[in-house]
Amino acid sequence: MKTIQIFDPALCCSTGVCGVDVDQALVSFSADVDWAKQNGAHIERFNLAQQPVAFAENSTVKGFLERSGQEALPLILVDGEVALAGRYPSRAELARWVGVLEAASATEQGGCCGGKSC
Amino acid sequence: MKFLDQPPRFLFFTGKGGVGKTSIACATAIQLAEAGRRVLLVSTDPASNVGQVFGVAIGDKITAITAVGALFALEIDPQAAAQAYRDRIVGPVRGKLPEAVVKGIEEQLSGACTTEIAAFDEFTALLTDTAITADYDHIVFDTAPTGHTIRLLQLPVAWSGFLEAGTGDASCLGPLAGLEKQRAQYQAAVEALADGQRTRLILVARAQDSALREAARTHAELAAIGLNQQFLVINGLLPKEEAALDALAAAIYEREQAALAATPDALRALPCDHVPLKPFNLVGLAALRQLLIGTPPHGNAADGEPIELRAPSLSELVDDIAEDGHGLVMLMGKGGVGKTTLAAAVAVELAHRGLPVHLTTSDPAAHLSETLHGSLANLTVSRIDPHAETERYRREVLATKGAKLDAQGRSLLEEDLRSPCTEEIAVFQAFSRIIREAGEKFVVMDTAPTGHTLLLLDATGAYHREVARMLDAKGGHYTTPMMQLQDSRRTKVLLVTLAETTPVLEAASLQADLRRAGIEPWAWVINNSIAAAHPHSPLLLQRAHNELREVTAVATLHARRYAVVPLLKEEPVGVPRLLELAGHVTEPA
Repeated sequence: MKTIQIFDPALCCSTGVCGVDVDQALVSFSADVDWAKQNGAHIERFNLAQQPVAFAENSTVKGFLERSGQEALPLILVDGEVALAGRYPSRAELARWVGVLEAASATEQGGCCGGKSC
Repeated sequence: MKFLDQPPRFLFFTGKGGVGKTSIACATAIQLAEAGRRVLLVSTDPASNVGQVFGVAIGDKITAITAVGALFALEIDPQAAAQAYRDRIVGPVRGKLPEAVVKGIEEQLSGACTTEIAAFDEFTALLTDTAITADYDHIVFDTAPTGHTIRLLQLPVAWSGFLEAGTGDASCLGPLAGLEKQRAQYQAAVEALADGQRTRLILVARAQDSALREAARTHAELAAIGLNQQFLVINGLLPKEEAALDALAAAIYEREQAALAATPDALRALPCDHVPLKPFNLVGLAALRQLLIGTPPHGNAADGEPIELRAPSLSELVDDIAEDGHGLVMLMGKGGVGKTTLAAAVAVELAHRGLPVHLTTSDPAAHLSETLHGSLANLTVSRIDPHAETERYRREVLATKGAKLDAQGRSLLEEDLRSPCTEEIAVFQAFSRIIREAGEKFVVMDTAPTGHTLLLLDATGAYHREVARMLDAKGGHYTTPMMQLQDSRRTKVLLVTLAETTPVLEAASLQADLRRAGIEPWAWVINNSIAAAHPHSPLLLQRAHNELREVTAVATLHARRYAVVPLLKEEPVGVPRLLELAGHVTEPA
């Protein structure tokens, strides 16, 4: 099984409510993560403000931060290798990494059961 | 005192800084202990003077106050608790991650929410852990958590998001992710709070419109969560006898009685006690024992020495501001210290000198802006309604970003949007449209964002500086809004406070917060000073003498420049009284 690791910037909240504007990409991405998990992906998220140790202990992530700074986050690793940086992946990209057909998402996100625990 | 009648196990005193929560909590603890109960007094006041009050060093260990039967005390420093929490998260990566990254993380964990939740975490054990607390009949807290904190703790989805999955969904619960206790323990603490058999909440206020409005808000918010056992204490009331002794005392008496008569309906239903202003300092056992019992009106009043206060007036500060011909002036301070009135006084002073001024306020009552509108040729007045702005911002966020969330996710987003930061951001966004005018005229505002909010808004601040540096090297011209606020030639922040211990410390912590954002407050203004009003009544003289220590602290420890504004006999409304407030000396004809 593929392991996808997402290293988030130090947002005070993943929805960014405290910022000037709520980041829509984050809100949608949370839904995509749930979808990918339901399709068998193993996904871990790390928030720089809350789990900085995870950033420091991974040499790829640490090197990335030293080179490009925190402004360049998020960083996405698939099985430990850099897959994407600077933006969140689309559902199609997640599907490619996990190796499932995106058609499986025909149920569409949103609605009650696209989410967490209905 | 009604609030002392058949008290339950937990007593919480709440109210804004400077109303006398700590004194009343101490006096309550003494009274209960002397009635033979075993009492633990817990202070989370960052300016805790419980140790000073009893003449014993207390700190973060339960300490016996041997002078009073079975009284024990504990001081929790919320700032230290927040710092310890930050160290726990950031410590392991210091020196391993780039310094800019470490600083960014620390800022995320430096908001008011972190401090509050860290303090709540500290006293959770006292509400739940029977091993520590089994010994005590009563536990008296000189503070209470806000409705926002409790509601977040009650939202199950906030927990599933943060503590279990660790994915991070809520802003304000962020700090909890690194806390050690289990969800069950927080839940038990919230249950204890909402249990009327175990918990009583005492709202402490002064007889002032703004203080009573705030108490009514706190009442409604905490009652909605289930804290229904509520009492009201009006502290520091000027006794009627004093009103006969001087004109200022008479005016204060009238104003307090008028405020009491206009008490919001929601508070009228609560059992209410009045605590008169005392002619002595509330330090030491003897003084505290007398706080909650009647004392002869003229006990051992002040020695009657006249007050010698030599301090600059607001008008003198405005002299310096006026020199630049234009710029942004922001008044900042905790609620109820008189920012709106002082903003109006500064604007009127500037306009009176023939300078173009735009005064913009978030004054909820609107009467001030109405009385000033059109009164001076070169003064324009506008008003931003904080509630309307916040509501608009909330609706916008929920409609756009909340649209795809499920019911639980939406309820969490809604609660996040009720955080104090949200209002600050919404109001500041509205003001920022007007700030642009500050290039040609004076713009005076009665609010300013905290340093923490500015740093978060400017999350790419490092990036901005980088851009600016590169453009500078090429001879380009580039400024960000943050740079405008950091430049004291363009922006002057006036910190407003009162000549009392807690308000001065609160202003000092706002100053520290601004400094973190690279903004140096230009001056401090001490409002409503009795010392500057030259009173004669013994009680007011006593209070005036107490003020001198605080004025000295501001002048020597905190402020680069300062001014003292007297308490006026009449409400400072309209141009002539605002000029009087600023200490404006009319030129002899």
